[in-house]
Amino acid sequence: MWESLEQVGWVKVLGTTGWLYSSVSVVHYFTLFFFIGTIILVDLRILGLAGRGQTISLLADQLLPWTWIGFTLAMISGFLLFTTDAGDYAPDHVFQAKMLVILLAFVFTVIVHRGQRRWNQLSAIPLGVKVVAALSLLLWLGAILAGVDIAALSGLG
Amino acid sequence: MHDFLVAITKWIGQTSWATVIRTTRIYPYIQLIHFSGLSLWLGTNVLVDLRILGVGSKRQTAAELSEALFIWNWIAFCFVVLGGFLLFSGIGTTYLENAAFEVKLGFFVPLALSWHILVQRKVRNWGRQADTPPVAKLSALIEVLLWVCVVAAAVEIPNY
Repeated sequence: MWESLEQVGWVKVLGTTGWLYSSVSVVHYFTLFFFIGTIILVDLRILGLAGRGQTISLLADQLLPWTWIGFTLAMISGFLLFTTDAGDYAPDHVFQAKMLVILLAFVFTVIVHRGQRRWNQLSAIPLGVKVVAALSLLLWLGAILAGVDIAALSGLG
Repeated sequence: MHDFLVAITKWIGQTSWATVIRTTRIYPYIQLIHFSGLSLWLGTNVLVDLRILGVGSKRQTAAELSEALFIWNWIAFCFVVLGGFLLFSGIGTTYLENAAFEVKLGFFVPLALSWHILVQRKVRNWGRQADTPPVAKLSALIEVLLWVCVVAAAVEIPNY
C-alpha cells in the first residue's frame, strides 16, 4: 500500500529532484527546531527555570500560536519527506516509534496549552503540573532522538 | 592555515572521546545535544525576529521579549557549539573536505552569528519605539534568512 504512494506523480518528482527534496528537508528541520524551541521555553517557564520575569501566560500566550504554526509546517514537510520512501519508512520500527512519541508529546503540549491560563493564576505551581511540563520537554527531545535514530539505526533518509 | 586545521582535527580524532563517538552507538545522542540546542537557539532567535517584524502577538515589545529570552538564547548556543564540536570530532577530516560543511561553518555561521549579535543589541532600542523602523524589520528578516541558509548548508552536507 505504502509502496504505491511512492509512485504518485508529484512524489516521484519530489524524491528525485535534489533541490526540491533538500528544500522540504530544510523546512522540516527549521520548523521543528522552531516549534520545539517554543515548547521548551514554555515548559522551562512552568518549571520555574526560565523567563521568571514573565508570568506563564504572558510567555505562553505569545509563544503557543507559533508552536502550532511551526508544528503544522513540520508535519506537512515531514509527510512530504515520508511519501518519497513510504514503502521503507512505514514498516520501520524506529519510524513508528518516532510517530508514537510525537503523538504522546502532542498530547502533553495540548495539556500544557489548555492548562497554562489556569496555572498562571496559582501562587505556586503544583508538582503535578511541573511533572507534566518536564514530561512534555522530555517527550519532544525523545521525538528528536527518534528522528535522528531513523538514519542511524535504519539507514533511511 | 588549512594544514594546521587538518593537523588539529586529526589530533582531536585520536582522542578517546572522539573515538567513542566515532565507533559506538552514542552518535545519535550527540546529535540530540546539537539539535536540542538548535531548537532553543533558533526558537529564541526567530521569536524575537518575528516580533520585530510585527507578526503575531504584541503583548511584549521586541526589546522585552529579547531581554526575557536572552539567557536561554546563549545557554542554547553553548549546547549547539558543544554538540556541533562533538559531532565534528569523530570524523573531522571528512568534514574539512566537505564543501557544504565549509560553507556552513566558514561562511554562513559566522555571518548569521554576527548578524544575530547585532540585532540583539539593536533591538534594545528598536523594540522600544512604537513603530519599529523599516531597517529593524529588514534586519530581522535577514537574520531569519541567514539561519535558514545555515540549516540549508547543513542539510546539504551528506550530498557532498
